Amino acid sequence: MSGEGTQPLLACRNVSKYFGALAAVSDFDLDVHSGDVVGIGGPNGAGKTTFLDVVSGINPATSGDIRLDGENIAHTAPDIICHRGIARTYQLNAGFDSMSIRENILVGAAFGQGDKGIPRLRYSRSMHQRVGRALELCGLQDKAHLIVRSLPVLDRKLVMLAGAVATEPKLLLIDEPVGGLNPHEVDDVMEIVSGLVDAGMTIILIEHVMRFLLQISKRVVIMHHGEKIYEGDPQGLLSDQRVVEVYLGKGTAKRLQHMLAERGGND
Amino acid sequence: MKRRDYIIFALLLGIAIAYPWLHPPRYLIASALLMFCYATVVSQWNLVFGMAGIFSLAQVAIFALGAYITAMLGRYLDWSLWYTFPLAGLGGVFFSLLIGVACLRLRGIYVALLTLAVSQVMFVLIQTDSMCSSLNKVLNPATCVSLTGGAQGLGSFGSFGWRSVLGGRDWIIGDYYTMLALLVVGLVVAFVISHSRIGLAFKALRDNEELARSRGISQFKYQLLVFALSAFLTAVAGGFYAAHFGAVGTDMISFPLLLFIISMLVVGGIGRLWGPLLGAFLLMAADEVFKEVSDWRNVGLGVVVLLFMVFLPEGLAGAIEKGWQRIERLFGRRETLGQAARSDDKASSESGD
Repeated sequence: MSGEGTQPLLACRNVSKYFGALAAVSDFDLDVHSGDVVGIGGPNGAGKTTFLDVVSGINPATSGDIRLDGENIAHTAPDIICHRGIARTYQLNAGFDSMSIRENILVGAAFGQGDKGIPRLRYSRSMHQRVGRALELCGLQDKAHLIVRSLPVLDRKLVMLAGAVATEPKLLLIDEPVGGLNPHEVDDVMEIVSGLVDAGMTIILIEHVMRFLLQISKRVVIMHHGEKIYEGDPQGLLSDQRVVEVYLGKGTAKRLQHMLAERGGND
Repeated sequence: MKRRDYIIFALLLGIAIAYPWLHPPRYLIASALLMFCYATVVSQWNLVFGMAGIFSLAQVAIFALGAYITAMLGRYLDWSLWYTFPLAGLGGVFFSLLIGVACLRLRGIYVALLTLAVSQVMFVLIQTDSMCSSLNKVLNPATCVSLTGGAQGLGSFGSFGWRSVLGGRDWIIGDYYTMLALLVVGLVVAFVISHSRIGLAFKALRDNEELARSRGISQFKYQLLVFALSAFLTAVAGGFYAAHFGAVGTDMISFPLLLFIISMLVVGGIGRLWGPLLGAFLLMAADEVFKEVSDWRNVGLGVVVLLFMVFLPEGLAGAIEKGWQRIERLFGRRETLGQAARSDDKASSESGD
């Protein structure tokens, strides 16, 4: 883990989210330091997306403490959280459908991190620069004029990611970036997300496609019934009894071990 | 949005400015200036309805409020009407903000219901207002009418004052240019807002509220802002309407007028730059043509709105724009295809390594 001893960028303590009597997230702790790439996995209904909803303020926590740079944001509105420096993507292909790709990303750039929330008529030059950078990082330069409604799934996911990147977040939350994509497309997205990691971005990502999760993440967290059952490096995950039992199954664990070993050999 | 729109704008403005010099019949000038007035209301309504996607029907109530503010200040306090217009605008903004707050947690059709209820309450309150106000008793003991004029409406509060400048025949041309100026301001305001950062926030909230919020846009702030922004000129248009006709009445908040104005928006094209103008022109023209069968006016309007909603939801402006794009694509086709192919090559080569 990078930056140990220093104040974490994001510190979650005893975070719980109840829907009625059901604890979707329960007593969850997580520290994320600047430069970390944390992958969250786990079965459906484990509370992964709910955790992102809680951190991004869409669905505030029932109890617990969430600190960004030491400031409590557990009950802060999502737009303010965005201004403070957390941006997210959605599992579903959320987008501003009637607008072009460029306009979609401009929303992130114009209202993102550091914005004071004052309604102004004009865009600044730095906003357009943010758009340009995000388009480039996500490989959308040539399509910027297209209307989002009619885009294929991969492009819609990339537009959503670029919109989040354009806010220039301190922490980027990515919810299932490759869900529903074919293996070829998974590679495309993997390359783009690796690019974000190389650019020094701090990321929490949720993914079911384990080959994606394990290769991108520097640290992996596995959730089950709203609780953390594993936290550590990607290798250790595959030999963890409980994770194999609850989530992966023996066959998958073996296959992934091979894959990681191969990749390690290549490096 | 580019040069084409500026050219259209300049052309139409030229025609509108030149029109009275062609000595058209007086009633056509009167119709044209009424059209300008409605088009102003529709252009502002388009901000709420088209750009922000909020189905508010309160605009007609705000329009009427502006008219009543102008009328009552002119009548009871003897103000020159020119001083009443800014106040009418501010009154409209205040009223609209109240409605905006009430609508904050409502969505879609419920906003329409609430705002319609507000206008109907206002209609009934004025319609049934038969009390002679104490103020009025002092001012006009002989002809005591209620404060708002009730069902009879309110008159004799002044005008733009062009009669003393241009004379008893040409004053209407003064009114014509005054209304035109208001419409130009309304269109410019709508244009500037829709291309601004604020407009982007409105559209983002319309397209996907949750995503917009997590991209840093405060729904609370921008919803109130659109209610406030769109109300000012709407209420001023009400004041201008009152000043032109020299009388206000409850027909300004009545359902037929609401239907008439909303039809302009639907026919012209919701959320389109030229929609309000096109819609106002077409419906005023249709109203003129079908005067003979005016008993069926509301039925006809209902049918028209229905047909447009089903078959041309983007209105005529939307249909024309699509046609235009098709023509452009026909000519620029090879170029865009080449571009697409190039980006495909790039994508596959990137994923290949």
